[in-house]
Amino acid sequence: MSFEEFQNRARLYVIGALEDGESREFEEARASFGQQAEDFITECYRLHEAFALSLRPAKSSDALKERLMKMVRERKEGGSAKL
Amino acid sequence: MPRRSKALLENDIEEAEPRPPAVTPPLEPGEPTDLELMRGIQEEDPDALSKLYDRYNGIIKALILRVVHNEAEADDLLQEIFMELWNQAKNFSAQKGKPLGWMVTLARRRAIDGLRKKQAYMRAGERLQNETEQQPDAWVHNSTEEEISFSDTRILVRKVINSLPPAQQEAVDLAFFRGMSQREIAAKTNTPLGTVKTRLELGLKKIYDGLKNLKDEL
Repeated sequence: MSFEEFQNRARLYVIGALEDGESREFEEARASFGQQAEDFITECYRLHEAFALSLRPAKSSDALKERLMKMVRERKEGGSAKL
Repeated sequence: MPRRSKALLENDIEEAEPRPPAVTPPLEPGEPTDLELMRGIQEEDPDALSKLYDRYNGIIKALILRVVHNEAEADDLLQEIFMELWNQAKNFSAQKGKPLGWMVTLARRRAIDGLRKKQAYMRAGERLQNETEQQPDAWVHNSTEEEISFSDTRILVRKVINSLPPAQQEAVDLAFFRGMSQREIAAKTNTPLGTVKTRLELGLKKIYDGLKNLKDEL
């Protein structure tokens, strides 16, 4: 597999769109290209941020945050908060 | 099939003049960076999580809603995701990406898992058909066109995405926001598998290349 083909597969990989057969070939190429491959995959995860930033933020209630922070503080204090 | 709204196009044109994109949301002077907040969370500082939540809960919830299309489920998932962020903060490594990227990856995985569990109890094809009819513009969600008020970064990112042909937008949308495999997309869109693969590869490459100019801001 050329590095260009690996790049195409890497973009599919980070969004979980590789098919089974492609995944095996991709992992072999990933190991073969080494650090160059890992660096490119890290870059590809920027796609995730981009997709999220393309959306208009949605509103959440204050009560939701209060509930979350209560759980966090209980967890920190060794409480029995559960997900 | 995704389509571009008239208002969005006009908005794009109005905002098309090149200018430096702002980070979303912009930081006030003296405000901690995302990385500083993540370090605070790693040290179990609830205030750091509170600030990170205030900064990104809107974006993360929008992403979840884009997948599950249900307000109550989105709220539950949002809470779970920030709780997981608190519990798993020690696993975050700045060398592997930015905090926002980590949060988005976490949120997407959780939301798609939630969607799949729900679909186990529903006829998936019928549900997706209904959602498609309710959400004809795949990249605009939960807002009227008049209400859309994009930050500079959002405008630029959307310009990149909107530059794709509709078929590529649709393939990327189904893969990213629905977690569909190439085969599932092919079946849903009555398109040959090879065509789906090509659409995804071309679409993602164009988005990736288009984002290079925004690299320092995303």
